[in-house]
Amino acid sequence: MTNSDASGIRSRRDFFKLSTAGLLTTSLSGWLGVLAAHAASNGSKHKACILLWMDGGPSHKDTFDMKPNTENGGDFKPIPTSVSGIQISEHFPKLAKQMQHAAILRGMSTGEGAHGRAKYYLHTGYKEGQGGLVYPSIGSIVSAELGRPDSPTPNFVSVGNRSYGAGFLGARHQPLVVNDPAKGVQNLKPLVDNHEFGDRIGLLEQMEQGFFRTYQATSINDHRTTYQRAVQLMRSKEAKAFDLSLEPAASKEAYGNSKFGEGCLLARRLVEVGIPFVEVTLGGWDTHQNNFERVKQLSGQVDPAMSALIHDLKSRGLLDSTLIVWMGEFGRTPKINSRGPKPGRDHYPRAWSTVLAGGGIRGGQVIGKTDKEGAAVEDRPVSAIDFMATICKVLGIDYTKQNNTPIGRPIRIAEKGATPVKELFA
Amino acid sequence: MTATLLQPTHGPKRAFLVALQTLCVLAGTAAAGTTAAPTSAPVDAATLARHIDQAIDKRLDAEHIKPSPLADDAEFLRRVYLDITGVIPPANAAAAFLDSKDPNKRAKLIDELLASSAYGRHLADIWKSYLLPRTSDNRQLQAEPLMRWLEENFNNNTPWNQFVSELITASGTQDKNGAVTYFLANPTADKVTDSVSRLFLGVQLQCAQCHNHPFTKWKQTEYWGMAAFFTKVKTDRPRQAARQGDSPGVSENAKGRAAKLPETAKVVPAKFLLSEEPKLDKSAPYRPVLAKWLTSAENPFFARAMANRLWAHYFGRGIVDPVDDMHDGNPPSHPELLQELAGQFAAHDFDVKFLIRAICNSKTYQRTSKPTSKDDSGANLFAHMTIKVNSPEQLYDSLVAVVGAPGNQAARPRQGANQNPNRAAPNARTVFVNFFQNEDGSDPTQYQAGIPQALRLMNSPQLTGGGVVLEQALKTLHTPAQIIERLYLATLSRRPTAAESHHLLTFVHGHAADPRKAYRDVLWALLNSSEFAVNH
Repeated sequence: MTNSDASGIRSRRDFFKLSTAGLLTTSLSGWLGVLAAHAASNGSKHKACILLWMDGGPSHKDTFDMKPNTENGGDFKPIPTSVSGIQISEHFPKLAKQMQHAAILRGMSTGEGAHGRAKYYLHTGYKEGQGGLVYPSIGSIVSAELGRPDSPTPNFVSVGNRSYGAGFLGARHQPLVVNDPAKGVQNLKPLVDNHEFGDRIGLLEQMEQGFFRTYQATSINDHRTTYQRAVQLMRSKEAKAFDLSLEPAASKEAYGNSKFGEGCLLARRLVEVGIPFVEVTLGGWDTHQNNFERVKQLSGQVDPAMSALIHDLKSRGLLDSTLIVWMGEFGRTPKINSRGPKPGRDHYPRAWSTVLAGGGIRGGQVIGKTDKEGAAVEDRPVSAIDFMATICKVLGIDYTKQNNTPIGRPIRIAEKGATPVKELFA
Repeated sequence: MTATLLQPTHGPKRAFLVALQTLCVLAGTAAAGTTAAPTSAPVDAATLARHIDQAIDKRLDAEHIKPSPLADDAEFLRRVYLDITGVIPPANAAAAFLDSKDPNKRAKLIDELLASSAYGRHLADIWKSYLLPRTSDNRQLQAEPLMRWLEENFNNNTPWNQFVSELITASGTQDKNGAVTYFLANPTADKVTDSVSRLFLGVQLQCAQCHNHPFTKWKQTEYWGMAAFFTKVKTDRPRQAARQGDSPGVSENAKGRAAKLPETAKVVPAKFLLSEEPKLDKSAPYRPVLAKWLTSAENPFFARAMANRLWAHYFGRGIVDPVDDMHDGNPPSHPELLQELAGQFAAHDFDVKFLIRAICNSKTYQRTSKPTSKDDSGANLFAHMTIKVNSPEQLYDSLVAVVGAPGNQAARPRQGANQNPNRAAPNARTVFVNFFQNEDGSDPTQYQAGIPQALRLMNSPQLTGGGVVLEQALKTLHTPAQIIERLYLATLSRRPTAAESHHLLTFVHGHAADPRKAYRDVLWALLNSSEFAVNH
């Protein structure tokens, strides 16, 4: 078990002072040059993760844990997949052909049935407010553990939604939020022409040099560094990854013409330039009412997008190093409710499903089993903390590692007792 | 320490030691540790300011650290405006202060700013973020009623014991008593216990919720003994209340459950922290009993916690740091000073403005932030002022002061403007603050913003250079030098140096065809500079 001071205030400040002592004499453009050189030379060997977050809690019995010919089995039929013995919803025909790359975890059992608390729990592996802390989400953890500190882009991007943030890991690991994948990163383009922008940066650099020379504080240097990185991003090739207009129309069609499809396409482009964590949100799964129409519609968005993602990553040789996670915050009730005019299903955390694909896992399998009704896990339950440990292990992160909070409390990445799902690993 | 010396109960040794103790009391020092502050005679703010300087300088002398000289007028001006009112001074106020020859101008400025309504609003911004945790549930909660309550009480300089007492015993609906927002935002006994302990006692109890703290005195029984005072509190859920068209409320009902330990089913009687178990009347509210103990001068935590927190607000770090983590393993850097500040705070009937006046009039507060030594060994001993990064609220208000408010939106929502009064109304300031928000409890001396924030400041339409100050300057001033000076005064609260002037005037002359463009570029750089973003 190793201790790391990911956000330790005093010691980080001291460390930064020592490490930048040699760089203080470099001129501003020289510093920019150093960063640019790093960016060019990097051949990143780390893994990446694309989290497809199904907000609201998708019904497991109508997606990946079908119960045909039962009273509450629902309207959908199962279809066979590329893996003999595995069947999934008829509304995932493209995904069915990619099943050899995927593992379905049907034994998820997590206890939290309220949206806010469950989303937090599944994103962070901790219960909201536990011990009085704000915990980092998996995206921020990956940013801290796998991200290049000198990356021209943030190491955690959230497409479509704000997501859960860095908590005590600090602002460097907050997600860069892209609300609309078609629009990309906000404010990336200057509002004046390049020549004038260059003038402005020149004036700014002059002011920054003078101020830092007089006052010497770390916060001033951090401010300068952040601006330099922002300008670097504006001018970088990585920024182009955020620009979907550069992608040919054919690939956009393959992902399906939906916001979610665009988000998945963007995620692929970001992973290609070395960003280790991208979360893409698809909301609307909270189907208390009108479960079947809505799940069909949502499945219709997931199917082309997720299978195109798997296909594209494979053809670029990135599938083994990119873990795709499909999940929500819980499943839905085995019994269909008939409260409203159109039948629905309610929250259900006791037994539900997630899907993992790529990342070097042993694909083409189902892990865990629920009973006839999909109500109880009969075999191989997986808790929220086990799930967190599993993702970390696939990505090569030590899930037992402790990070320090600002007051020096050591907090494990995955809570004590977490056990990764060993069936995923060769 | 002193306590052990006093053990002999008789004889000449005791007489000597009693005399020694008396001497110590007369000399103005007191025993360190968590004993209650002895009732001290109140001294005025100027005297307390001198005591602060004596205590700080004594330690620096002992460590052979040379303190930095006093800040120049420009540094002081900008700092005290940001610290007390949360916004930079307007250009004309800055110029007037810099040009004034009054030898007492600094003390007078402190008094003026403490009397301004911006003082209350700034402290309300700060305390709102302490009192209302940013959880997913609280996004449904309207913060404005609490803001108004805080602002009013800070501006009225409500004594802190009364302030806290009213806050933690608050009942009623949110529209009639904004203070209940605190309980709506911390709706369970454990959440409010965590908050009250951190904010008003200066201790982190929350670890002890589930297990005995590994190295402090906080046992599980201490935690649940404190939580027991809140077990009769009933809070409405804001979203539900809104659906019924009601304002959410807080009350204490007659029957409450006694707080239980999580693993065992042992009932824990209510208990003041590290103190006695009061006899509670089962049919009466519990919170007033806690409030009485919490805010009394006999409570060793209360005055210390606030004195330390106020110190940290102005200096960027507490005498105990982190400010809400006071325990034996985290001792104060200046124990006697903290004891005196707490004692004087209590002796002045918990007058917040008094303590601030004393702090801001001290030389220690008025030192420059430039360090004297390369290794900066004096940083944690207040040898120089620390540089504090402006909060999102300070940044927004300062930007608006220079470029003007966005569109027609007022900086704060108008009263009664919302359709659903229980739903927080996003306005430009709230949106900006949320975008720039740091984590709760983060260190003010650390720059926490990321690339998206830098991009927003560089490339958003409102900040592309231009705005009210520049337009006004172009209308009323005649020379480039005057305009550049005005831009500096309005943004950095100082005049440019000769070198800066020279450089910028050259730049402006190089744009003779379109000088307005050049001024916009200069303004853009000023607004994006570190100097604008921090409080030095």
